[in-house]
Amino acid sequence: MAEVACIERTVDTEGTATESVVNWSSPEFGALYEQHSRQIYYLALRMLSDTAQAEDATHDIFLKAFRGMKQFRGESSQRTWLYRIAINHCRNLLQSWHRRTMVTNVEETVWDQTASRCESPLRALETAELGERIRKTLDRLPDEYRLLLLLVADEELSYDAMGELTGQSADAVRGKLHRARKAFALLFHQTE
Amino acid sequence: MNPRKLQQSTREESVQENQLASEQKQVAREFNSAEEMLRHDASQTLVPPEIAARLQESIAKEPPQRNWWRRWFGS
Repeated sequence: MAEVACIERTVDTEGTATESVVNWSSPEFGALYEQHSRQIYYLALRMLSDTAQAEDATHDIFLKAFRGMKQFRGESSQRTWLYRIAINHCRNLLQSWHRRTMVTNVEETVWDQTASRCESPLRALETAELGERIRKTLDRLPDEYRLLLLLVADEELSYDAMGELTGQSADAVRGKLHRARKAFALLFHQTE
Repeated sequence: MNPRKLQQSTREESVQENQLASEQKQVAREFNSAEEMLRHDASQTLVPPEIAARLQESIAKEPPQRNWWRRWFGS
């Protein structure tokens, strides 16, 4: 089978960019990986909140995708299909670890009562500190809110696709996102 | 201390301060929504190249995928 070569760019801690060539034995899979790996890795990183575990998860998710590629019927977009694999994989990991202390039982009215704090812009220094503050904020959000925000941040996904991935209507997604944004803003300001 | 040396050192410090101030100015950023911030964060996140390397190894170990009719007829 013909190989497809893709250029992989990496940047070290000193900001030096290096490029390496990745030869995929399956051109179809190589294209899939190149196109979607960043979003899938980011979802895993923010859902699992751990770099090493996100790396392992991304590997496993794409291996599952490789095995299932022949069965992919194109009823949804490739991105949605990959997200479904990724969400199920990360949820299984989180369930088996029992390691999170989420604030899932916090009443939703709490987010509504703090409107003024939530509506101010989110200001931050663009450093590694920003990533750390985002991690802390997402860790404190209920699972559903965190997932919806991560999905809506991907501009390729429609509300319908988000509803399909989270098992609810597009209208329900819109309503929950409104509360999720408020919750995120409130918790983000608390990380200052 | 040599006044000329002192002058030079003060100028260097001032240049450094200006550089620092301009760097801080460049990195300050404001986001209008959570998704805008997450989108930016995602765009700054690089996929570790080790994942692609590991995947290639794993895929190489996978048994070849047979066509459905080969599986069906056991050939």
